[in-house]
Amino acid sequence: MSLRTVAKAWNEFFFTPQSPLPVSLFRILFGLVVIANLILLHADWLNWYGPHGWVTLKTMSKVEPGVRLNLFKIMPASDQWIGAFFWFFLCFAVLLTVGLLSRVSSVVVFLCLASIHERNLYINHGGDTFLRVAAFFLMFAPAGAMLSLDRLILKRLGRAGEKVRPRSPWAQRMIQFELALLYSCAFSWKSMGETWVNGTALYYVSHLHEMRRFPVPHWLNEPILLKLGTWLTLALEFALGVLIWFKELRYPLLAMGVLFHLSLEYALNVPTFQWDVLAAYVLFVDAKDLQRAGEWIQKRFALRLLLKNKRRTTGSLTAKVDRHLDAVSDLDERNATVHPVIFAVKSHGTVYGP
Amino acid sequence: MTLELPGHERADRRGNKQRLWHAAVSAFLLFHLIAITCWAVPFNTPLVSAIRTFIRPYMLWSGLFQSWDTFAPTPRQVNAYVEAAVITADGRIHNWKFPRMEQLSVTGRYFKERYRKFSENLQEQSSSALWPDVARHLARMYNNPANPAQIVLLVRYWSEIPPPSAVPYKPGEGRARIFFEYRVKPEDLQ
Repeated sequence: MSLRTVAKAWNEFFFTPQSPLPVSLFRILFGLVVIANLILLHADWLNWYGPHGWVTLKTMSKVEPGVRLNLFKIMPASDQWIGAFFWFFLCFAVLLTVGLLSRVSSVVVFLCLASIHERNLYINHGGDTFLRVAAFFLMFAPAGAMLSLDRLILKRLGRAGEKVRPRSPWAQRMIQFELALLYSCAFSWKSMGETWVNGTALYYVSHLHEMRRFPVPHWLNEPILLKLGTWLTLALEFALGVLIWFKELRYPLLAMGVLFHLSLEYALNVPTFQWDVLAAYVLFVDAKDLQRAGEWIQKRFALRLLLKNKRRTTGSLTAKVDRHLDAVSDLDERNATVHPVIFAVKSHGTVYGP
Repeated sequence: MTLELPGHERADRRGNKQRLWHAAVSAFLLFHLIAITCWAVPFNTPLVSAIRTFIRPYMLWSGLFQSWDTFAPTPRQVNAYVEAAVITADGRIHNWKFPRMEQLSVTGRYFKERYRKFSENLQEQSSSALWPDVARHLARMYNNPANPAQIVLLVRYWSEIPPPSAVPYKPGEGRARIFFEYRVKPEDLQ
């Protein structure tokens, strides 16, 4: 292996242009989990971040010294300002989700996220850390290039074509790296603990009263199954951290990861952590597969909509669609991706059949 | 008059510009890959420690600091929670409980989960700098000028989870300890 080979692999991994669809979809999911986090925080916003909260800014600066990105330090220390900050943050989280002023919104969301985490470090969990680090790299990503109001506006103004220009995925790769690092480090930390090695770790976790959410079937608490579960957790965290980079293993591992996090969501009481992490899974899905999935959903949705309308209005709509069908009698599958409604109707003749 | 560059020269310039851009981004990426990895890995080799010391100001400033040690290296083997006793001027003791997840509805847990995390951290000796703030916050909750709070006690209750055995686990007798006492000053209630 030569240096040239390494440089080539590096450039290919970080700079070969690719569709910005995965990172655009991630922007939406990321925005949604940030909004969910904010809604959950709203009732206690002033208790956590207010000037008379559980922990004061002065104490926090003393306990965690150093220069940090924290907007609370430059904000007037009053309930009104801190309350207004909530709405400011929420507003930009919504803008980021819908993709309006995407770049500016991603910067503001990162600053706000970092600020609330720094303001009270004692209420954060791993999901918050992941969101903050992902937000840092999202600022550099072409996150508004697709599925955004920004693009819609540019198209309206005639400044963007039908096709989306592929972009360097280096920022997306860093978020992928962060997710893989999360699993690798979790595996490494756990593998140093005696209870994870001897298989009793899940026994202790399952007996932490405050962590329980929904009841787990009794048979799952059998010692042998708890042991298996402990080791499976280790194996899965290792696989999601290391083997995820192998293309052939990626989708089966992602599927297992989804099941793993959903089962944790059911059993453990760590709100939003699972969703914070799952949102980033979309970055490991190939843009073409996302496109295909989107088209499939679109077709299904269009067909369902037509069936519903057909039941409601038997005459006028049928005639209208029939006219369309005549006009596109030579419709092929390629066109169907452009006109999913018409294709869906044509390929499911029974809808309008005798 | 403007000078037009020949096509191949324009392409060369564009190529050079892109190479420069890639080099700059690569330096940024390499730095972050090394910094984040060294910060997060649970190994303390002299090299990793030296790198951590070097990058510390940047990691704290940028918010890239992180740790992935949930339930690790060993999950907690104790069920614990914190309560507070606020003693007012008339001698009455008011018991204040941090929301306990096992006593809340599913929706309530989603909204109050931060209290679980906060209470979990609060019990640690390493969080002792927070205790006066917490006590003052509690004192303000019972702020009645005619009968102000005078003393705040923070109490930890806990019961250990025994190692697995053939006998099914039953929560044992809990123990309690006052881990902080605070005498409220008039200015705390402002």
